[in-house]
Amino acid sequence: MPDFNVRSDSVNVEQIMEQIRARIREKRGVDYTEQQLRELAAVKLEKFLDPRGVRSDLLDQFKRRQPTYEPPVLPSFTFEDTTIYETHRGVLAFIRRLLNPIFKLFFNPNTIVHALHTQADLNKVNAEREAVREKQRLEIDALYYEVIHNLVFEMTRLGIETKNLKMRVESIGSRLEFNERRARALESAVVYRSPSDDAIPEPPPPPPPAPRSQPPANAYQRPAAPSFSPPSPQPSSTSASSEQAPATSPGQGPAEGPGQRSRRRRRRRGRRGGTSASAMMSSGQTPSTLTTSSGQAGSAPAPATTADRASPADADQPASPQTTDTAEPRVSLEQAFATDVQPTETRAEEASPAPAPAPRPEPADPAPGTSGDPGDHNQQ
Amino acid sequence: MKLAVVAQRYGQAINGGAELHARYIAEHLAKHAEVEVLTTCAADYVTWRNELPPGVERVNGVAVRRFRVKHERDPKLFGQRSSRVFERRHSLNDELRWLDAEGPASPALIAYVRTHQADYDYCLFFSYRYYQAYHGARAAAPRAILVPTAERDPAIGLAMFRPVLRGVRALMYNSDEERAMIHAASGNEEVPSVVVGIGSDVPQNPQPARFRQKFNIRGPFAVYVGRIDQNKGCKELFEFFQAYLRDSSGRLSLVLIGHSLLPVPEHPGIRHLGFLDDVDKFDAMAAAELLMMPSYFESLSMVALEAWGVGRPVLANARCDVLKGQCIRSNAGLYYETYSEFIEALGAIERNRWLSGALGRNGRQFFREHYDWPVIERKYLDMFDRLSKEPHPSRTIAPLPGWFARRRQELPPSEEVLAALPTGPSLGRPAGRRP
Repeated sequence: MPDFNVRSDSVNVEQIMEQIRARIREKRGVDYTEQQLRELAAVKLEKFLDPRGVRSDLLDQFKRRQPTYEPPVLPSFTFEDTTIYETHRGVLAFIRRLLNPIFKLFFNPNTIVHALHTQADLNKVNAEREAVREKQRLEIDALYYEVIHNLVFEMTRLGIETKNLKMRVESIGSRLEFNERRARALESAVVYRSPSDDAIPEPPPPPPPAPRSQPPANAYQRPAAPSFSPPSPQPSSTSASSEQAPATSPGQGPAEGPGQRSRRRRRRRGRRGGTSASAMMSSGQTPSTLTTSSGQAGSAPAPATTADRASPADADQPASPQTTDTAEPRVSLEQAFATDVQPTETRAEEASPAPAPAPRPEPADPAPGTSGDPGDHNQQ
Repeated sequence: MKLAVVAQRYGQAINGGAELHARYIAEHLAKHAEVEVLTTCAADYVTWRNELPPGVERVNGVAVRRFRVKHERDPKLFGQRSSRVFERRHSLNDELRWLDAEGPASPALIAYVRTHQADYDYCLFFSYRYYQAYHGARAAAPRAILVPTAERDPAIGLAMFRPVLRGVRALMYNSDEERAMIHAASGNEEVPSVVVGIGSDVPQNPQPARFRQKFNIRGPFAVYVGRIDQNKGCKELFEFFQAYLRDSSGRLSLVLIGHSLLPVPEHPGIRHLGFLDDVDKFDAMAAAELLMMPSYFESLSMVALEAWGVGRPVLANARCDVLKGQCIRSNAGLYYETYSEFIEALGAIERNRWLSGALGRNGRQFFREHYDWPVIERKYLDMFDRLSKEPHPSRTIAPLPGWFARRRQELPPSEEVLAALPTGPSLGRPAGRRP
């Protein structure tokens, strides 16, 4: 709405009205852009075709508005030779009759009487003709109303259909976009299991779930490197570095077994190899064993990636620059999800204080987007 | 000082504009002088039927002397005579017969004024177009002060009123536009006059929340106060406001207060509350975003003044010169002539809080400076003082011409005279003619 160029402490009504009139002139002028014209046209159409505004009794309304023809109430046109002498006073009528011959000495009333008599006949004929015309017009009007009525209803129906189609297109578009994002998230969460994983014994049963009073783990919290290196008594290739790592942070959830931890480290190491799963796929490498963040795993073993083999100790250095660099794509993904699924993030946070399901043998990798199922987001 | 206030009707329950005006003035002047009201026994302005008892009674502490009306108004006869003098060439006698048909014809009242005029210092005659003002002013010309309450209607073009307007001691106008119109119609610039208007007892602390709670009204709304009548522009208001409501950006609803002579549209955005007492009325005004004033003809809009008194802006019909002039002079209201202007002006008030606030502040200031009761009383007292110091005026109301002269068909239709009068708000510059 208008931003009037008038200071609030010196309101001048005439000036404001001038500005208002200028705005009206502007709107009525020919300087509309194409976009404005389209908007105006859309607004007008929507006003008329708004399904809530369409009257189901439109035709009745039309008919009701049509005034019923009432023949005009005209005075009596009968005009006879005695009309000019008529009076309700008997005495006067007598005098007029008495003086009639004298009147006729001065002028001839017969011609006047004749003319008026003819005129009365003409009026009658005209009135009848007018009544016929009016009747015909009313019949044609009824047809017009029928056509307008049908047009309005048909256009309203089309308008509703168009709106429905628009909504469907929008819905499909949003689903497509979501699926693309989900695919990207899944691709980024793909890990490759090295053959040595098979040698690792099955992890012991997980410890009891954390108490409710424990602060909830933030589903979207970026995992700190030290939290993944709890001291492990198990002899393995990474045990030395694991012993130097601090204990699990309170927000990390239930305690993990050494086998789980080392397996997860290897998985991360595999991701840090610098080649994304999609790139590997496109380059012809077809890992036969794919483990998703949700715990789904392929059945056949696959050869370790180059990165896995080349620098197995890199992953054990929590403060290494590589760790920071490789975490970046996950951050951007987090941000992307955070913008789209903000309400669900809250729900995930609310749900997190509950104890994690105990029998899960392989805790989910805290990869972004996996703390809450995106598919669930869509349903809600 | 003793004053006579002569009005066509008078009473606590009589709420016509001019009659209310007369009562308020009489009651407030009673603080400064001895006031007696001379009026008729009629209560209905259409029939002038004698409904109240003749004699003296007191209304709100003011003595009221009532006289019988000689005959009731015959609407058919009045219509015929109106048509004759407004639309055709006619004689002075036709005009006098029109006045007699209009009423309230009370020769007893006129005779009393003539015989007892010396008992009063001044006689205040209200509404120039009625029988009692015309004949009463002639009967007590040296003491006659006229409060014309003239609107822009064909009656102002009748020739018989010119001698009266030129011959009274003083005129108390309601607005600058009224004064300009009467000056142009009668050429009475030399007659002492002042623009007074009327005050109102606006409460200091109206309670908007009380109104909203009492009538279960939520959200912003515009209020119309007055008779809901086509002559008051309500039909046009309904059309414009319904179109405004169709626009999705419009948030205001319309609350109507007053008796309805017109079907109110059934729309969720339009609500009719009927007649309310003053407390509710002022609460409603204070709760509203603005007051709508769609009337085409007003000599002074008391409702607009009251809205300004509570600090609310007014959206008025610009085709009423008086309303437009008041909006401009007060800088407290916007006005419209067309639907586009209505929408834009309404939107400007609705969406610009500072504008609405500034208009409301200006309105309150305007009301305090010009229409607070002490100001009104002072203007009347100053006029009495001025007249008392004047030497006896040489001018007087010209007597009626002779029998033949009165019957000469030489006067133009009053509608033609009215059309030739200047139009537009009176802002101290030459007024334009209505196209």
